[in-house]
Formats: sequence, C-alpha cells, structure tokens
Amino acid sequence: MAIATQYYLLLSAAVFCIGVYGVLTRSNALIFLMSVELMLNAANINLVAFSFHYGNLTGQVFSLFVMALAAAEVAVGIGIILVLYRNFDDVDVTKAATMRW
Amino acid sequence: MTSRPRLATDVNYVNGLAALALFAVMAYVFFMAELGQPAGFPDGSIVASIGYAMFNMVDQAAIEAESFLVAFIIIALVLDAALDGAVTLARREGDDSVVTALTDGGRRLAGRGDDTDEATGPDGGED
Amino acid sequence: MAGAFDFVPAIAALPFLAFVVSLFAGQYMPKRGAEAGILATAGSLVLSIWTALTVAGITGSATFYNENFYEWVVGVADGALTLRFGVLVDPLTALMLVIVSLISLLVHVFSLGYMNDEGETGLPRYYAGLGLFTASMLAFVFSNNILMAFMFFELVGLCSYLLIGFWFREDGPPSAAKKAFLVTRFGDYFFLIGVVGILATFGTGLFAPVETASGTMASFPQLAEQALEEGAEAIYTAGYGAQTWMTILGLLVLGGVVGKSAQFPLHTWLPDAMEGPTPVSALIHAATMVAAGVYLVARMYGFYLLSPTALAIIALIGGFTALFAATMGVVKQELKQVLAYSTISQYGYMMLALGSGGYVAAVFHLTTHAVFKALLFLGAGSVIIAMHHNENMWDMGGLKEKMPVTYWTFLSGSLALAGIVPFAGFWSKDEVLFEALIHGFGTSGMLGTVYLLAYAMGLLAVFFTGLYTFRMVYLTFHGDARSETARDPEPVRWNVKGPLAVLGIGAATVGFLNMKPVAELTGLHIDFLHKWVNGPEEGGWPEALSTGLHHYETLLHDVTHVTAGYPLGETTTLLVSAAVSLGLALAGVLLARRLYGVDEPVEHTDKLGGAKTLLMHNYYQDEYQVWLAQGVTVPIARAADKFDQGVVDGVVNGVSSVSLFTGSRFRRIQSGVVSNYAALMTLSLALLLVVFVVLGGGA
Repeated sequence: MAIATQYYLLLSAAVFCIGVYGVLTRSNALIFLMSVELMLNAANINLVAFSFHYGNLTGQVFSLFVMALAAAEVAVGIGIILVLYRNFDDVDVTKAATMRW
Repeated sequence: MTSRPRLATDVNYVNGLAALALFAVMAYVFFMAELGQPAGFPDGSIVASIGYAMFNMVDQAAIEAESFLVAFIIIALVLDAALDGAVTLARREGDDSVVTALTDGGRRLAGRGDDTDEATGPDGGED
Repeated sequence: MAGAFDFVPAIAALPFLAFVVSLFAGQYMPKRGAEAGILATAGSLVLSIWTALTVAGITGSATFYNENFYEWVVGVADGALTLRFGVLVDPLTALMLVIVSLISLLVHVFSLGYMNDEGETGLPRYYAGLGLFTASMLAFVFSNNILMAFMFFELVGLCSYLLIGFWFREDGPPSAAKKAFLVTRFGDYFFLIGVVGILATFGTGLFAPVETASGTMASFPQLAEQALEEGAEAIYTAGYGAQTWMTILGLLVLGGVVGKSAQFPLHTWLPDAMEGPTPVSALIHAATMVAAGVYLVARMYGFYLLSPTALAIIALIGGFTALFAATMGVVKQELKQVLAYSTISQYGYMMLALGSGGYVAAVFHLTTHAVFKALLFLGAGSVIIAMHHNENMWDMGGLKEKMPVTYWTFLSGSLALAGIVPFAGFWSKDEVLFEALIHGFGTSGMLGTVYLLAYAMGLLAVFFTGLYTFRMVYLTFHGDARSETARDPEPVRWNVKGPLAVLGIGAATVGFLNMKPVAELTGLHIDFLHKWVNGPEEGGWPEALSTGLHHYETLLHDVTHVTAGYPLGETTTLLVSAAVSLGLALAGVLLARRLYGVDEPVEHTDKLGGAKTLLMHNYYQDEYQVWLAQGVTVPIARAADKFDQGVVDGVVNGVSSVSLFTGSRFRRIQSGVVSNYAALMTLSLALLLVVFVVLGGGA
C-alpha cells in the first residue's frame, strides 16, 4: 500500500521550513549554508515524491541535478564566506551589514 | 583543537515565526489538495532507466522518463566552473599560492598582523 | 516726388539712428555723439516743417495721413484683436512734431556748452539717451493707436529715468530717477488697464479712422460716440451704463496722464527730477515729456468729450494743481526748483483748459509753454554754468550786467510765464482762463460750478505765478552780487547763447499765433491756431479723421452739454477777463519788485512762519507718498510674499518633503542584514500562497 503523496509533501514542507528557520534565525554564516542545503534537499524530496506520484522518472533525474548544483553552490559559498571572514574578521552575517542605505 | 559544539544561545527567535507561518500555510495547502493515488513505478530497474534517460536513450528505458543529456553536460560544466570560482575566491590579492587552512583552531589568526610568512607551513609555526 | 507723409517715420528714425551711433561710436567722435544728435534733430526738424507745410496744403496734395504700417499681432479667431503700428498725421500732430524737434535741436546745441565744454564724462551715454528720447517722443506724437502710444509713453519714461540718473555715482540722481520712474509708473499702471479696457470694449485702439482697401476701420472715439447715440449693445460695457463705462475708461487713462504731466497727486517726481542735467530738464521736464500726457488727452479728446464727469475731474485737477504748485514755487531757494513747480503749475492750466472744453486754448498754451519754459530752463542752465553749478538763488545777484544775453532772454521768458502782454504766455493763459470762465457761466448744474471753482483757482495762481517768477528774476539777476562766484561768473559761449536767443525771440512772438482778443475786437482773422486745428469747414481732414475742432465743439454742445455763457456780453467778457488776469499778474510782479527788487533782498518768506515750513516741505506730499510705500505697500508685499513662500512654495515643498520622508522611512528596509531579507521573502511567499488559496489559484 503506497503512502499518500500528501505526507511526502508535508515532510518536504517541514524540512524546508526548518531550513528557512535556520536562515532566518542563525547568525553564523556556515550554519546559514547548512540551512540552505536543507532547503535544497527538501525540494529534492518533493521532486521524488511527485516522480512516484506520476510514475515518471523525470523528477528523480532532476533531483540528481539539484544535488550536483547544491554541491557547486556550497563550493562557491564557502569561498564567499572565506572572503567575508577576511574583510570582517568574523563569520557573523549580522555584522556584515555595510551594504545598506 | 576544537571545542565541542554548544547549543546556540544567540538565536533571534522572532524571525523564525515567519518560517512557522510558511509551514502552516504550506501544510494547509497540501492537505486541501486532491491529488489522488500515486501511480507508482512498473517493474524494471529504476537506476538503469535513469542512466538511459541521462544519455538520451529513453526508448530503451524500462520506466518512462525524459532526455537529460544537455542538462548532464551543463551540470558538468557548472561543477567545473564552481570549482574554479571557489579557488579564485580563496586566493588572496597578488598572491599566487593557495592559502592553506590553519590547523590551530583559529587562535593564531586573531593575533596575526605582520608575521604573514610564518603560518603558511603545515606545521603551524610556533605556538 | 514722394510726399512728406512718406517720410514721417523718418522723423523718429533719424534720432533713433543718432542714439545707436552715440551708443556705439560716441566715444570715437570729437563731440562724443553730439554731432549725430544735432544732425538727426535738424533732419527731423526739416521733415517736421515739411510735414506741417503739407498739412497746411502749401506743398503736396494730401493734408492728412492715417495709415497702419505693421501688424505685430494678428488676430485669427472671430472677434480677435489685431495689434498694429501706424502713423497718424493731422494738424495737431504736425504742430507737436515741429515743437519737439525744434526744442530737441536747441537742447542738443545747448548741451555742447553745458556738458561738453564743462568737461563732463560719459557723454556718449548722454547723447544716446537724448537721441532715444527724441525718437520715442516723436514716435509717440505720430502714433495712430493707443497701444502704440502707450509703448512710446513708457519708452519716454525710461529715457527720463536714464537721463535724470545721468550722474549716477552721486546719491541724489539715482534716487531721483527711481522716484520719477516709480511715480509715473504708478500712473501708467492705470493707463495700461485703460488701454486694455478700450481695446476690449471697442475692439480697436485707433485715434482716427483708417481707410483700407477692405473698408474703413473705425476709431474708438467714433465707436464710443455711436454707442452713446444709438445704444451700446454692440460694445462690451462690463455691466455698467455706456457713459459710466466710458468715464471709467477715461479716468483710467487719466491716471497715466496725471503721472506723466506731473499733476496732483503724482507731481512729486518732477522737482526731484531736477537732479538731472539742465538741458535734460529743459527738454524732458519742461517742454516735451510732460507734454505727452496733455497731448494724449488732446489726441483722444473726442472720447473725453463724451463724459462730463471725466472733464470735470480733469478741470478740477488742473485748476487745483495750478494753484497748489504756484504756492510752493514762492518759497523755493534753488533756481531749477522754482522752474519745476512752475512747470507743474502751467500744466495744470492746460488740464484746466482741456477739462473746460477749451481745446484751442490748451494746445496754444502747450505750444507757448514749450517755448518759454525751455527758454527759462536753458537760461537757468546758463546761470548755473556761470555760477559753477551753485543753484542757490541767495548766492546769486547782479548777474544782469555780466550776462546780458542770458538776462534779456530770461526776462523775455519770465514775462511770457507771468503772462504780461504782449508776450506769449499772456495770450495763451488768458485764453485758458477765458474758456474756463465762459463755460463755467454757461453750463448748468454741477459741471458749471466745478468750472467756476477751477477758474477761481487758476486765477489766483496767476498772482502767485507773477510773484515767484519775478522773485526768481530779481534774486538772480538784480541787486548786488551776494557771493564771490556771482561777482566773477564764468562766461558762456555761443552754443549757450544761440539757443537762448532763438527761444527768446520765440517767447516774445509765438503768442501772435492766436491773439484771440485782438481778433475779436478788430474782426481780423488772425487766430491762426484756431484755424489750424479747425481745418476747412467742409470735407478735408476734419471729416475723414473726426479730430477737428468743429467736431469737438459739436460734441461739447450736444453730448456734454457745455455751453458758453457771456455774463457781460461777448466782447466785454473777453476784455474784462483779460484785464483781470493781466492785473493779477502785474500785481504779482510789482509785489516781487517791491520785496526783492532791492539791492540787498532778504527772505521775506520767513514772515510766513508755519506756512513757510508747510510749503518748504511741499505740503508733506513726499513724506505721505513715502509712507504709502513703506507703511502700506511694504506690509502688503510682505504678506503676499509670506503667502507665496508659505502656501504656494509650501505646497511644492510639501510634496517633495512627503516623498523624502517616505523614502527615508522606506529605506530602513535595506538593513544589510541577510536574515531580515530572508524573513521578508518568507513572509511574502506565505502571503502569496494565501492569496492564491483565496483566489482559487488564479486564472
């Protein structure tokens, strides 16, 4: 008996919102990146769930690509955090607030 | 030397309510949707079918899929570009060597100002 | 051979050319521009005389001219106005052209002695100003519509400002120039409203009808007369009755006249205008510019005759000003000041004449006054040169033997001013008073009473005129010299004596133009001026232009209901009136002789006590006007400024400050903290989803 798709979607929403929570509340840039990863993986869960729902493998292939992209993004993100640290002496995102009015 | 992870105490909880609100809305939407029963997959190797889909050999796949060759090549390029980007960002200005990671837990960096040639070695220099 | 009328615009163009030459090339010329001015005004004089001869019918074929030259605003829609420049030449114009160009020529020659020989600097500017003034005055004289006349009226005022303030590096002249400009401008404001009113009411500003290929363009006096006779439905009268509206228009235009001709209450600028060089005073503030106002009333006399109220006011202003200024002239110590008040007073006589229906008398007095007042000013200029620019009469004395030409010509002018027979002023002033008297007796109702009142004031002024004139003569020329400079005055040259001689002969003889009493007594037709402005009895220019004396007399009788009444019979009234005014003038002269014709005169006016202070302070009119400007106008201006800055500018600033304020509050969203941005995005996403849920997923 297959699990109804709504529950997969609910799981995906929960993981996504945990990721959003992390982005909104944490001040450490590395934790920030981890939360972004969580969000990407939540999207993956969503894609796979719908792939099963429609019986089409497109969703799964797509989620593979998403994972590769997530990796690429993290690579660049780490580089950015490195430069951020160099300029602000801290990885606190709330400290790096000079690009404002 | 690393210190053990501690529970974050400097968290700003107020912003998190937005995440909660988003979860509530999404949950509501998902449960109100009429999706029907999932179709499931027929017999056959899923992974093999994914492989065929990657190389535009969809007709040989057991399970229905779409062609993803172009996306495959592009992802390869993107990963390559990301790697180069990461290396470029890690470089300092006017410096050709890649800065290696410090292994002293960052305690030295706060004191560093003028002795730039000391900590480049893997042994970490004096302590 | 082209007629004189084709060259009439050149009469004004030649002095304008002299203006341009003096302005740009004056510094290179040996006389600093005077040569151009003298040549130009001589040319204008020749052309003016030729024009006058043509009008008289002696040369050429036509005797009048009224053409539009140039349309500078073309009205397109139905009933839209078209504004034009044009030239009108009729006997009045021709007479005035000759007067203006003659006086201007003589003043230019005199300036060689007063300005060049005295080593004044900045003369190109001076001769440029004189040239521009002459050009604008001549163009004003031959303007054929009221808007063009207004433009040149203003230009003449500008030249007056420039010339009064010629010595602008001192304190007095620029202030006097500003005062002259502002006071006349105040009057001209009403004039402009009047011009707009006339154009709006009648659709035309023409003084006399113009014959064009497509019919006759009527003039506004004609249209006004028609409206009064037939009913005023065709014209716009702003809700008033036709005659009331025309009175209002006439009084508005009178505002400009009162300002320019220095009548009460806008007379305060003329005594201060004496700060300018004396030739300027002679040309502008004696003979020509102040005549512009009176000339304007004479030009549109057909319009003023339709309104008895306007005429009464003109007569009253004239008579009052004549007396008012004459009393002030009695106590003045400076030579030119006496002459300034004398000018104000004599223009009062002209206004009195116009108001009481004496058109010929007004024009005659305008002519004679131009001659003898210019003479007196030039004579004063000669004395001033001699006295090294000390004008105080109490420092003069005994100049008679040392400056004979000046003395005899000045005496000729003074006798004319005082009105002693047979000099010019006697004939003209007597005619003014006679007209006022008979129209006062003949007209019924308030108008007649007003005329008699004005006549009484004018008559009393004759006594004062004689008094101050000869006080001036005795103090300046007779007695013992009271200062070193008077004992040893600087000699003057031919360029000063020449014009004085010409005008001196003029003051003695120009009265023979219109010796009405002699004409009446002997039956000889020697009232030449009367015939000049009357024209032929049938046809000719009076019929074509409606500006003839006969037409005016008809209007005077039929519309204004002014009639002549001879209380003692026609000839006797004439002789008695002449005798009375002559007697009063002689009384004034003899009193002046008794008081001041001694070797060492004293200031007898001190005996007047408090009255003298009042007169010396010009009845406090200057203080009153300054108070009006400072106490009344400045607070109003301040309030208006506050309104402008607070409300009008405030609205504009408020709009911008609202946007600035909103912007400054809005930009705080860009806090630079990433988490805030993420929070905003999340909230917006949640909100968007809710909206989609509510709307059912959109279309």
